[in-house]
Amino acid sequence: MFAGFDFDVIERSLPFLFREGMTFTLTLTAMAMTGGIVFGTLLAMMRLSSYALLNVPAALYVNLMRSVPLVLVIFWFYFLVPWMGGWIIGATQPIHVGAFWSSVITFTMFEAAYYAEIMRAGIQSVARGQVAAGQALGLNYWQTMGYVVLPQAFRNMLPVLLTQTIILFQDTSLVYVLSIVDFLGAAARIAQRDARLVEMYLFAAVVYFVISYTMSWMVKRLQQRIAIVK
Amino acid sequence: MPMIEFKNVSKWYGSFQVLKDCATKVEKGEVVVVCGPSGSGKSTLIKCVNGLEPFQQGEIIVNGESVGAKETNLPRLRSKIGMVFQHFELFPHMSVIDNLNLAQVRVLGRDAEEAMTKSMALLKRVGIEMHARKFPGELSGGQQQRVAIARGLAMDPIAMLFDEPTSALDPEMINEVLDVMVELALEGMTMMCVTHEMGFARKVAHRVIFMDEGRIAEDANKEDFFGKPRSERAQQFLSKILHH
Repeated sequence: MFAGFDFDVIERSLPFLFREGMTFTLTLTAMAMTGGIVFGTLLAMMRLSSYALLNVPAALYVNLMRSVPLVLVIFWFYFLVPWMGGWIIGATQPIHVGAFWSSVITFTMFEAAYYAEIMRAGIQSVARGQVAAGQALGLNYWQTMGYVVLPQAFRNMLPVLLTQTIILFQDTSLVYVLSIVDFLGAAARIAQRDARLVEMYLFAAVVYFVISYTMSWMVKRLQQRIAIVK
Repeated sequence: MPMIEFKNVSKWYGSFQVLKDCATKVEKGEVVVVCGPSGSGKSTLIKCVNGLEPFQQGEIIVNGESVGAKETNLPRLRSKIGMVFQHFELFPHMSVIDNLNLAQVRVLGRDAEEAMTKSMALLKRVGIEMHARKFPGELSGGQQQRVAIARGLAMDPIAMLFDEPTSALDPEMINEVLDVMVELALEGMTMMCVTHEMGFARKVAHRVIFMDEGRIAEDANKEDFFGKPRSERAQQFLSKILHH
């Protein structure tokens, strides 16, 4: 049934697909994950604060981001970030940000809202007595968080954080709306240039599936190992 | 000057008053046992000493500093008061030795080597030195609680607070923890212990405070508390926990 298909096109385009496309996808995933977890953890700490000045803005931010479609946020930031940057440094013209940094910022900000909810559950999963023990030893808020609460919260939430990262990895393909050459973008270019739509999109789907499935299998293994240690 | 002084301390949870006008003091080198029925506010009282529980009225003076005052550096004051919890509260993600080292290095600013020497000496004292590299989860309850006492002592505290230190332990592990506490008391450590271990109170306490419904119902020398007549509520309580 595949008689009319030309699977050679895949082999011919492998260097372009992976060296350019996949490199971008993985870089974006890694950077957005790191930034998103750091920013998300701060948001979670703000949400759990008893000061309205901290918890209200954090709650608004998280709920807003979680209620807006990602594509919209991508557009939004792409057009907004240059203006915001210009405004921050006091320039009259929007600054040049570029598609790469624009998408890193977008995904960091967007994913932070999701990581924040995970970390909030993680912080709440740490026994209250642990905070008391840290305070009783004279540790201040940041020390109690940094040495006592967050390490335990991360460990408890590691499988969920990684699962969210797999979703992030798939979501990065949405940067095609900015005509960026990520993995899917690269596949789409070849597909259109050589008129091999079915082959390329099929191949892209297989690659996303293999990577995501392998990662979630590893998360499952990790989950079992953590369960034993506990 | 007393080491810890309570001046008419009152505390509310919403409209429910948990502490009612509590006034007492703990002198330097004194061992005070706090007992009473559950819900009488004894744990809350002891947690007010290092500000883990805020209170709305009155004052607590520890070593000349007012716990609730704005100008008091609470973390610094807490670092001088050791606290042992009912459920140990060792940090499960750190080895035993790191549990002892953490606050010495991060709060007192000791260098790693100094902290390590101190920690090992204390672990030896409570009989846990061979488990220094293990994690808390690998130790028995009694061992964990002895590590928790050593963690408090590592800060060279001016007083130690014990919040029902043996209540979560299996019966056969209670004595190994009490032995450490008795030794500490005999060395002259200032101690405030919430406990139902009347044997411990008889052996080393100087005074016993009996609490009932948020009030200090009885505050007497050990001899008086266990000997002469006293409030009916305290008699009832004693007869319930002593005779069976």
